[in-house]
Amino acid sequence: MADQVVVSPVWSGVEQQRWRRLTATWMLVMLLLFPVLLLLGAFMRIVQANWLPTLLPEWFYAVMTLHGLGMVGTWFVGAMAAVSYVLTQYVRPSRAISWGTLAATVLGVLLLLVTTLVGRFGVGWYFLYPLPFYPAGVWPNWATWMFLFSLAILGVGWTVWAVDLLRAIARSYSLRVALAWHYIRGRTEPEVPPAVLITTVSLISALAGFLAAVIILVLSVLEWAGTGFTNDALLMKNLIFFFGHVLVNITMYLGVVLVYDVLPRYSARPWKTNRMVAIAWNTVLFLVLFAYFHHLYMDFVQPQWVQVLGQVASYFISVPAAVVTIFSALVLVYGASMRWTLSSILMYLGVMGWAIGGVAAVIDSTIAVNLRFHNTLWVPAHFHTYYLMGVVLMLLGFAAHFGQEVSQQSENGRLTKIITALFVIGGYGFLLMFYLGGAHSVPRRYAVYPQEVLQGVDYARIALGFIALLFLGVVLYLWETGRRCLLAFRTSP
Amino acid sequence: MSLGLSHIAVKRALVRALGILVGVLILPSPLWAQVVGEKTDRPPSEGRYLYRSVPDIPIRSEPVGMTLLSALWRERPLLLTLVFTRCAGVCSPMLRSLKAAAASVGGAGRDYRILVLSFDPRDTLSDMAELADHVGVAGDPAWIFGVASAEDIARIVRATGFWFEWEAASRQYDHPAMIIGIREGRIMRFLIGGAIAPVRLNEVIRELRGEFVPAYPLPRKVLFRCFQYDPASGRWAPDWGLLLLLLPGMVTILGTIWLFRRESAHRLSAEALRSREDVPGASDPGSRR
Repeated sequence: MADQVVVSPVWSGVEQQRWRRLTATWMLVMLLLFPVLLLLGAFMRIVQANWLPTLLPEWFYAVMTLHGLGMVGTWFVGAMAAVSYVLTQYVRPSRAISWGTLAATVLGVLLLLVTTLVGRFGVGWYFLYPLPFYPAGVWPNWATWMFLFSLAILGVGWTVWAVDLLRAIARSYSLRVALAWHYIRGRTEPEVPPAVLITTVSLISALAGFLAAVIILVLSVLEWAGTGFTNDALLMKNLIFFFGHVLVNITMYLGVVLVYDVLPRYSARPWKTNRMVAIAWNTVLFLVLFAYFHHLYMDFVQPQWVQVLGQVASYFISVPAAVVTIFSALVLVYGASMRWTLSSILMYLGVMGWAIGGVAAVIDSTIAVNLRFHNTLWVPAHFHTYYLMGVVLMLLGFAAHFGQEVSQQSENGRLTKIITALFVIGGYGFLLMFYLGGAHSVPRRYAVYPQEVLQGVDYARIALGFIALLFLGVVLYLWETGRRCLLAFRTSP
Repeated sequence: MSLGLSHIAVKRALVRALGILVGVLILPSPLWAQVVGEKTDRPPSEGRYLYRSVPDIPIRSEPVGMTLLSALWRERPLLLTLVFTRCAGVCSPMLRSLKAAAASVGGAGRDYRILVLSFDPRDTLSDMAELADHVGVAGDPAWIFGVASAEDIARIVRATGFWFEWEAASRQYDHPAMIIGIREGRIMRFLIGGAIAPVRLNEVIRELRGEFVPAYPLPRKVLFRCFQYDPASGRWAPDWGLLLLLLPGMVTILGTIWLFRRESAHRLSAEALRSREDVPGASDPGSRR
């Protein structure tokens, strides 16, 4: 009864146009923020390259905070907007809530800009307790308040958005069907598109992460309001990384939704849910809640069994989702009459970047290795790999696909090759400097490298060369795709 | 007239007498009218002072004579506590508690020494000797009772997070009860409060010996902890914070089930309505089967 699945919703022409306009707006916001945030990252490497020796280090940390939170937030909202558009094939999400979230996101980002660039709030994206409350004269008290307020605005907006997408899925699918449990039992009817399955898994996890963020904010305000209570640093760190790790992971998974939906259009082969896919993503739903423990290996007060659980969950979470998806993507492409466009190339490269970053992440989640690598550049190396060369490429692939689908403008093949080459050489060259730095014990989050690790300066300088190539690629990409998205925005009512 | 003059003279004499009395009560110590250190309602924050250098001040003590603090901490680690001999409050009970805890843990004199320093400028070496006698540690080489100049005491106070303030009403100093663990001139640990638990003192002494103590509770009101650590057994027990950590997952699961049930009921009722109306093909696109 309730297990029966619905057929595709019917949208009127005007409704379709409005969805396109909404998605084009989100894509434009994403494409606008990306180069700005990329330049902020380049600024950090310039400081580490010792090319701004008179600059106060607190600027490095303020920019690090903005760059980290900005990138995580930008790709999350970009992925949510893209997935919403993909889901309109199967369910009816609310456009109004998406517009409202856009407004909340813009407001939250503006507050974040003031907090970091005016207030010089420099705690890093993870705002690890109790650092926000100990500014040591670097940032004023209002910056901490404004930061918490901006997080609250973003959190409320994103939570409502996630709940609405889940509501839309729930309107058409029962929970058992949305999670494809009947596939696990060997049945293939009713059919569940991978986009519905993976989005359901991702959003349930996301909501758990957002609730953790709510608890963090409440506990922070309780302490700061002068109640006389202080918080347990270990509890706060657990909550922060529960929220942060889940947010980053589900952004990745939402990117994978786009690959499952878009890549088959270029290979002329279907990519459907099957038993393995269903088992893999249901495993993710369970394990994603425990993998974050690998962020707390250095916290010796955390009992050992929790650390072991973190390593086991980290190992096993990568097997089902990543291996099944990567293997399926290879099968999809192998021997197919593939139409290699900017979109399909970026999506394919994104899946491969996920694989490479995933391997680096698994290495880092091994306790014995983490003891050496924990505070080195290996950490930004691995998360930049699966972000920049993973989910970012998937999303840029989607934006390229969307822009071309709506604008119907033909693609410049030569420019596609140049963009791809610049992304691959610039991106992986930039990452290589992080990996080499990590392997040579160069610490992360250092504005200025001390004498003992001066090789970090050389890595930063070489990285800047690769960043320049990457930035050139982004500019060319924006010329190709940005103007198509702009056209989609203008031509939709 | 003479009566009037006499009245004025008496009044003047009274005012003078009162002035002298106030002067006698207030003027002897320049510290009396002010707080020395940063007074706070909360216990001194260990995290703020950990590993800081302790000023190397000269002290006078009965068995040792005039010496620098560094001469003491070079020999062996120190447990430093600041008291005053006229204390009607926590000083003596704290010292007695420390004596009992030190006896229970062992190693005093061999692994560390206890330096009791007066912060009251009125205290003399004989006052301190009386205090030692009163506590029952007179002649114990593990214990040193000393005095220092007001300026040097102020330096120690500022470097360690201790504070004191004269309260005229009670004619007593207001001050926290704390013991500072010092190894090689640096602050290693604080023990806050008048009652010294042997298990806590043992942690400090292990730290002073150079052992690694992975965890210990800080003296503050913590809302929720993930775990409680029992230093005696070395075991962890779950605490309320762990439940808080599970809460997001549990609430999300329950909320998701509720949401899907609610929407499912909505869908079924819409289907039932449609089947009653029996209008084929006029279904709500968002809720068709």
